Amino acid sequence: MRSMGMTPAEIERRKIYVGLTPEDVRAIAGARKAIEDTVDRHVDAFFGYLAKIPEAHGLIENREQLPRAKKLKRDHIFGLVSGTYDEKYVEQRLELAELYNKIGLEPAVFLGAYNHLMTSLESVAREQITSLRKIGAFDIGVTVDALVHQRERVIRIQSEAIRELSTPVLQVRDRMLLIPIIGVVDSHRAQLIMENLLASIRSQRARAAVMDVTGVATVDSKVANYLLQTVAAARLMGAHVIISGLSAEVAQSLVALGIDLEQIHAVGDLQGGLEEAERMLAR
Amino acid sequence: MVPILKQGDTLIASIVAALSDDDLMKFRDDLAQRIGTVRARGVVIDVTALDVLDSFATRTLRGIAYTARLRGAETVIVGIQPEVAFTLVQLGLTLEGVSTALDLEEGLALLARKKQERR
Amino acid sequence: MSEKRIAIEREVDIIAARQAGRQLAGQLGFSTTDQTLIATAISEVARNILIYAQRGEIVVTSIADGARKGIEVIAADHGPGIENLELALRDGYSTKNSLGLGLPGARRLMDDFDLASELGRGTRVTMKKWKR
Repeated sequence: MRSMGMTPAEIERRKIYVGLTPEDVRAIAGARKAIEDTVDRHVDAFFGYLAKIPEAHGLIENREQLPRAKKLKRDHIFGLVSGTYDEKYVEQRLELAELYNKIGLEPAVFLGAYNHLMTSLESVAREQITSLRKIGAFDIGVTVDALVHQRERVIRIQSEAIRELSTPVLQVRDRMLLIPIIGVVDSHRAQLIMENLLASIRSQRARAAVMDVTGVATVDSKVANYLLQTVAAARLMGAHVIISGLSAEVAQSLVALGIDLEQIHAVGDLQGGLEEAERMLAR
Repeated sequence: MVPILKQGDTLIASIVAALSDDDLMKFRDDLAQRIGTVRARGVVIDVTALDVLDSFATRTLRGIAYTARLRGAETVIVGIQPEVAFTLVQLGLTLEGVSTALDLEEGLALLARKKQERR
Repeated sequence: MSEKRIAIEREVDIIAARQAGRQLAGQLGFSTTDQTLIATAISEVARNILIYAQRGEIVVTSIADGARKGIEVIAADHGPGIENLELALRDGYSTKNSLGLGLPGARRLMDDFDLASELGRGTRVTMKKWKR
């Protein structure tokens, strides 16, 4: 709840968005009995619709989740007409949303099903339908936001994982590390590389590291500085960094950037870099 | 107070965290004297316990290393932690002219190598 | 907003100030690397206070700017003030024996850096670091 910012203040704001007034709450109270008495009809309307959608069959076919979803939906409808729309009410909606997320229900499909539910409610509460649709809109807002929030969380976790994989520090042999860098290096990645390298120097007790940039097409001044800083920091930890695979373009841009090349021990290719590292360790 | 141990012709000093500026100066003078007294050829200063190396501490360490060299001993600073190394580099402080190694073992090995080279 | 004030009157206070900064930074979720950067920046400006003003204060506070969270460090003193701000911020400059590097160094380590000084009144350094 909190990670989504569902504070009591936020809940009140959302009620204002949908225009829910005390009159609406009173009207809904008037429809309460009628809806509670016909609750199963409405639950079936919702799931009946979903059964017709191929994208929703993940839920419909799921023998474990479907009964739970139906029960939650029943509770949800009771909540809808309860007249109390507070944190507990929102909690209930978020619980359903989590279930929908687990079975991969698309927001668009959910919206269609919800609309069917509203139409079903209208059949027994025609007078109060405007008020009911307002609280329905509230529900939809909360549920869709929860689905999106979940999805964004997954994307964040995956990006982190990809970033981890893309900055590997390999131990070639005792005391020697190899850092193959491929693709685009931005300052964030450059810093990750440095942090990984320094941590590895400590844990592997490395004295030599070859940073191979064969796969790097361009380097801007920020990244070039990071590379220099990496070399300097590694040196403070007693490890010598050799940079291999600088392309002609990258080499030229480093010169143009005015980088202090005295600091860089560069070797043409990866093989040469590894051999040079061997020589350093042999000393 | 920084304890200074002797191992062969090498002096080993471990700097504990939160050393005052005065203690640091005292250590410098102490060390300079000891180098002469025991005819030390090498000094290892272990800063593993230091979670911060600011510009003052860094300058002092460099000064200690230079003083040691003037008295005929090679200094190696060991135990600079990754975060501290990163910070020093960001500050633009190099320990230029001072040898560094990962830890005490590496520091002693480095001194041994240098000794070989000097022969 | 948590805030911690550390009086800087003796050398040992520098250590207290950087530990307070490190602790708050840790609580705010800064990486250990950033914690070290912050603690070191505090060490630099706190030492400056001792050298140039003999006494002053370090204040560390948690701050927020919309979704961003960060830490603010203020180093204030009622010392003689800095005559030439530009010169003081230039790398390698100092009038006293113990070579400066305090201000330019601290600036390099933090994200935002502001220096205000008035001759005869005092100096105030405000620096901030934001969580990535």
